[in-house]
Amino acid sequence: MKQPKIILCLLAIFSFTIVFGQAKKPTLMIVPSDVWCIQNGYSLTFDDQGSTNKIPDYKRAFQENSEVLQVISQINGMMADRGFPLKNMESAIKTLESNSAEDNLRQSKESGSDISENPIDQLYKAAKADIIIQLTWTINKTGPKKSINFNLQGLDSYTDKQIATATGTGAPSFSAETPVLLSEAVLSHMDNFTASLQSHFDDMFENGREIIVRIQKWNDWDGDLETEYGGDELGVVIEDWLQANTVKGRFNTTDMTENMALFEQVRIPLYNDEGNAIDARRYVRDLSKFLSSAPYNIANKLVMKGLGRATIILGSK
Amino acid sequence: MKRSYLFMTIFLMLCANFGAQAQWKKEKALEDTKIWRYDVECEGIAKQGAKLVKVWSYSKNPKHAIASSMRNAVHGVIFKGYAGGGQGCTSFQPLVNDPSVEEKYKEFFDEFFAEGGEYLKYVSSATDGSIGPGDRLKVSKREYKIGAVVTVMSDQLRKRLEKENIIKSLTSGF
Repeated sequence: MKQPKIILCLLAIFSFTIVFGQAKKPTLMIVPSDVWCIQNGYSLTFDDQGSTNKIPDYKRAFQENSEVLQVISQINGMMADRGFPLKNMESAIKTLESNSAEDNLRQSKESGSDISENPIDQLYKAAKADIIIQLTWTINKTGPKKSINFNLQGLDSYTDKQIATATGTGAPSFSAETPVLLSEAVLSHMDNFTASLQSHFDDMFENGREIIVRIQKWNDWDGDLETEYGGDELGVVIEDWLQANTVKGRFNTTDMTENMALFEQVRIPLYNDEGNAIDARRYVRDLSKFLSSAPYNIANKLVMKGLGRATIILGSK
Repeated sequence: MKRSYLFMTIFLMLCANFGAQAQWKKEKALEDTKIWRYDVECEGIAKQGAKLVKVWSYSKNPKHAIASSMRNAVHGVIFKGYAGGGQGCTSFQPLVNDPSVEEKYKEFFDEFFAEGGEYLKYVSSATDGSIGPGDRLKVSKREYKIGAVVTVMSDQLRKRLEKENIIKSLTSGF
């Protein structure tokens, strides 16, 4: 009777280790690049205080261009085969729209209240992924000869860095149709793309995930980053905290004034002390707690922008 | 009666000799390619999950070079990769980035690349084994360089190596 219990305990410990021993899997999404959208006429033009701005119209691109669907579908298939099914941007846009419509109609059964939403919340309503795969292709034509210039860029949403790439021009052809050339381009570039993505993941597991941390202060707060606590300025206190809590003490102080500080290339561990996977928000929340506790007692507000940019605003919530 | 014994002995000796010679040829072919002296180049875009490559193998005997081209192609995709070029080819990084891996997993790779080994599952001839007229070169007085076009199932090969934990999969750690 004792033996099955021991086996059960061992199994529980084993499954616990598996669950908590894994880092958070990044999400990937393919987005047609601004260049491609504008070149192919899938853009919206608006007047921004006198200057004309163009922004990509993704919805129309997905609805009207079958080639973009073909390329995304093919890349998605190949990434799914590698264990990384991609987020579908077209579906993400539809979900956002339907959620928005639902939120507008929803009311509390008891009080009749609407869903609470401020302008910042509305601004943040966008299709997001940890890694954006930006897709661009152009068709080169010389007489009847056609070739495709193909460019895939893996962009880290946390840092805006390009972390994977595959680019090149395919073999020219007199007879092949554009979809065939596109298919060949995807086939020939995906291995290089996944290889550079693998290098990024290897680096991430060795040196931690890279994020950006900003410190700001509310105008009505009477302290600043030069206020001294136990002989050290607040800015230095924050630097010391980062030094102690980043992987191998890696971070860069890009800007430091009395009112703000910007820390880039902050390498955060993938797991906390309990072995649980953590992300940028959880990591910076610890800094927020550190500042709000004694001896500093600085009330602060933690704001996330995107997935890997955290801002702590000192002074109040 | 004596003559028949003599014929029988000669016949048996000949049989043994042919057998030994065949074995010697196989060993010779293996020996010729044991140092993995070959060049791999991309030959075009293959179907999804595969690589179409031309592998140039060196040997004193052209037949040995042809026989070893498949093994060399698989070895090339695992350890060497190739540069891009014409026909829409892009460069291909080897499946194994660390050269010390071959030594570390010597037992596995010795068995994998043995005569009739598992490597044969991941490669097929793209030209029914025929060698193009320009692909049979005599590079020195006693050496040939033979170019054979083969298809290597790179995706299946990668999965096999991932299964053996020789290389990491894209999802490992997540």
